[in-house]
Amino acid sequence: MILEDVAHWIAATQASVLIQTNEKWFIPAVQSVHIVGIGVVLACVLVMTLRVLGWSGKDQSVLQTQRRFGPWMIGALWLLLATGVLMIIGEPERELVTFSFWAKMTLVALGTAVALVFQRSVRAAGPDWEDRVGAHASVKMVAVATLVMWLAVVFLGRLIAYDHIWGALSPSIKQ
Amino acid sequence: MNLIPLLDGLKNSGIATAIRNSLYIFPLLEAVHVIALTLVFGTIMIVDLRILGVASTSRPYSRVSADMLKWTWGAFALALVTGSFMFITNARVYFDNTFFRFKFLLMALAGLNMLVFQLTAGREPVAWNDGVPAPPRAKAAAIASLVLWVLVIGMGRSVGFTTTGAAAKETAPPPSVDFDSFLSSGPSSAPPGASH
Repeated sequence: MILEDVAHWIAATQASVLIQTNEKWFIPAVQSVHIVGIGVVLACVLVMTLRVLGWSGKDQSVLQTQRRFGPWMIGALWLLLATGVLMIIGEPERELVTFSFWAKMTLVALGTAVALVFQRSVRAAGPDWEDRVGAHASVKMVAVATLVMWLAVVFLGRLIAYDHIWGALSPSIKQ
Repeated sequence: MNLIPLLDGLKNSGIATAIRNSLYIFPLLEAVHVIALTLVFGTIMIVDLRILGVASTSRPYSRVSADMLKWTWGAFALALVTGSFMFITNARVYFDNTFFRFKFLLMALAGLNMLVFQLTAGREPVAWNDGVPAPPRAKAAAIASLVLWVLVIGMGRSVGFTTTGAAAKETAPPPSVDFDSFLSSGPSSAPPGASH
């Protein structure tokens, strides 16, 4: 199977071997930094969602809120990419040969796309965004869906370690 | 005081046994625990960075903290509940784990740090609420908070790496007694849930 072949190829690289020989401290350390990055992303998404819904932070416009949190979210996503790549190099089979990982990556791509579209939309419309765009019920629904999606990303990320729960969906389960 | 009977009692309770016997409940508890703790950390970080003058300086401190801390406490409660259920599945092993103990020591320090801050530099009405840099004492508390919570995350993750499989080892019958399960389970007899 191609996923396993790729995983085996990565596992044989020097970088992977280096991580594997230090995995006792390296993997928990990288995972911890990854979790710190997740905390930043979730908090940013939470605050921006609450603002779009008008539940809190109404003393500032959506544009101001996005300017406060957008850059932190993008920065944290880069940190997550870097630490995520290190984890894949160190434990390729554990990551790549799972259903949870690919479901998670799909949602990460979707969530990142929504964040970028939101940024463009808010910065194009300026302080009027709330009246011109954000007032639509559909936009509020997208905001809630985005928050739920990022929660699902974290959920699926933890389930990479327990991929068996997906049964036949998991490529790690030999039929 | 001898805690071993209590810890073993927790582990042998119906609910702990049900969690252990399920392939799904522990992973789900752990996943929710991670969502909860990342929200705790992220919302605390927003407040700490505001105190430090690094972010959200365009809003008064009181607004930022009032907006965030209710979510912090809600998420903390969720982490506490999910963490408790995880703990009872293997109470004695967690209780004896060094990383677990350090984690709780660090959380106690983080709580103490927060308490001291709330009683001193953070006491309402806050003199540095808007447009004025926070005093060094408040900034020191914010840095301590960030460092402590990052360490709590690191300790928590380490608990998972040092306790995995301990329950399986403890409860697995010795192979010389139970040949059937020994032969059918093969060399790797760790349950599928025993993963970090």
